[in-house]
Amino acid sequence: MNAAMGNEKKLDLEQIYVKYRSIVCFRVKKSLGVYNPDCDDIANEIITNVIEKLKRGEFRGESSIGTFIYTITSRRIIDYIRKKSKVLKHVPEPASYPDPHEQVENKERAETIAGAIKRLNPKYREVLYLYYYKELSREEVAQKLGISPRRVSERVNYSQKLLKKMIRK
Amino acid sequence: MRNCKFEGNIDEYLMNRLTDDKKNEFEEHYFNCSSCFEKMVERDELITAIKYKGQEIFKDEPATEAVKGETSWGKIMAFLTPKQWATVAVSATLIAVLVFSGLLMLKPPSPQFFINEDAVRGGKITLISPIFEVQTVPSQFEWQRLGENAEYRIYIYDNGDTLWQKTTKDNFIVLPENIKKTLASGEKYSWQVKAFSPEGALISVSSRVQFKINHPE
Repeated sequence: MNAAMGNEKKLDLEQIYVKYRSIVCFRVKKSLGVYNPDCDDIANEIITNVIEKLKRGEFRGESSIGTFIYTITSRRIIDYIRKKSKVLKHVPEPASYPDPHEQVENKERAETIAGAIKRLNPKYREVLYLYYYKELSREEVAQKLGISPRRVSERVNYSQKLLKKMIRK
Repeated sequence: MRNCKFEGNIDEYLMNRLTDDKKNEFEEHYFNCSSCFEKMVERDELITAIKYKGQEIFKDEPATEAVKGETSWGKIMAFLTPKQWATVAVSATLIAVLVFSGLLMLKPPSPQFFINEDAVRGGKITLISPIFEVQTVPSQFEWQRLGENAEYRIYIYDNGDTLWQKTTKDNFIVLPENIKKTLASGEKYSWQVKAFSPEGALISVSSRVQFKINHPE
């Protein structure tokens, strides 16, 4: 029975690792910048720390597991930024070199999405242009197009669905 | 139809438009909501593609700057027949080509504006100081430089209201004394920097970073 419980716990940790690694990576990249070369190391360190804490029984269920991992992630990011800001005051920051493989993959993905956007109905392309490229607010886009802000959101969401379908084909 | 009430925050979060409190709340939320996280990742991919390839995607975009529903355009078009408009267009093009060719022989070399790769749309401005907690009212705000010729606008906020803003070409700004006097110990403020190209196009927006001025000991 102990072996079965141990296996179940191991499986849970694997599931947690698989589920939260991408979330932690996203959060780290959003805070530190996509091209910061330390992102992967920081994300790996965080998720390893999370697994270690779970193994040691430090998660007591007072919050959700997501909040537990969010707190650990936020603290590590704050530590990193604090240390980095002290260093930057005195030493010029070296140029950051993104992982070339990830860059190629991201570029290809961007090309695919760009190609699909070009094939969109102008009604939807227009709203993407104003909302994301020109970075107008929802209300400003609505005013320019003569539609309601709610309609702007609907078109943005529908564009996303259309693009997903087009890319899958 | 939305599955989650936080779904409306996805765009605002990705475009760095949320206040610090709302940002933190949403960040904690997507650690607990797979639906929002998946939608956010998809949306982020879309925004990244648009920022990276936007010039190419939207180069043939018709005049979307015009406000829809104008009737004056109809009035202008009715002034000439289509055939007459075509003649005007061809003549104007020929004149433009002649004038442009003449100018090319005379005009001096154009000034070169280089924005390096870091300043291409989508680059991130990192705010250096002040962040989190400071012991005294900060005299200077500093951020990471983004490209050679970018211009920066700094905003300081007090609870969502803009307290002060200023434009500079440097990557730091010294706070004027009259503004320093309005910042109080024990209070929290936030600040943000936006970067613009020499042509005035918005090229990057930093996150809003909060700082607290501790009480003197």
